[in-house]
Amino acid sequence: MKIKAKLKKDVTEVKLLLSSPMVGKEEAAAKKIAVSYLTHVTAKVGGKVVWEASTGPFLSKDPYFMFTFAGAKSGDELVIDTIDEKGATETDKAVIK
Amino acid sequence: MKRRKFLSLGAVAAAASVLPASLSATDFVATAPKAWEAATSKEAIEAMFGTSATVEGDIEIKAPKLAENGGAVPIGIKSKLALTTIALFQDANPRSAVVVFELGEGGVVDLQTKIKMRKTANVTIVAKGKDGKLYSAVQKVEVSIGGCGG
Repeated sequence: MKIKAKLKKDVTEVKLLLSSPMVGKEEAAAKKIAVSYLTHVTAKVGGKVVWEASTGPFLSKDPYFMFTFAGAKSGDELVIDTIDEKGATETDKAVIK
Repeated sequence: MKRRKFLSLGAVAAAASVLPASLSATDFVATAPKAWEAATSKEAIEAMFGTSATVEGDIEIKAPKLAENGGAVPIGIKSKLALTTIALFQDANPRSAVVVFELGEGGVVDLQTKIKMRKTANVTIVAKGKDGKLYSAVQKVEVSIGGCGG
């Protein structure tokens, strides 16, 4: 995944690009490929959840998110956790600039 | 079919068991599975929030009037309301629910994502405010080439 986190005034703007084919059961059946999509994404700073998303297969392939939150400062670490429909997890982090 | 059911139950249980450690308690995929199966926005909204009675809210949906690539239609959501949960629905795919965002304490309602739309349809945002009210906004998005929603 790719994470960019930038502080603008008091608000942190995060751009997040995940990698998942986001294939639901209908698309899997039509294209004869395996079902594979993310079901949940969480963003945390200092152990506190700042943003999260419950996700379904109708997000675009390799889902993109932009979100904003207040309360973090430059140098804080942003941790992103994802889980897919099989329960496989991925985690990555970025420092807020 | 039994096996599939068993597997999906296992996946939900597995997801639930890791929630306290890595994710928060409100995983809408696990807690409102019916909402993700509903074909229409109305049914999905009812399954997700328990009602489809909403107030036309001050929520801005930023979407192209005409999306050229239905595989990745950019949707932006902005509002000055104090919102905690923001759900996105559409009527272009076999099922309606796309994503449910939840904001932490310092959350600012300025979000963007990209969704699949295989035809022209309405995009509906339903959001829960800190005041407990449900707000909604609808925008029609025209799609010239369908995405890969099945």
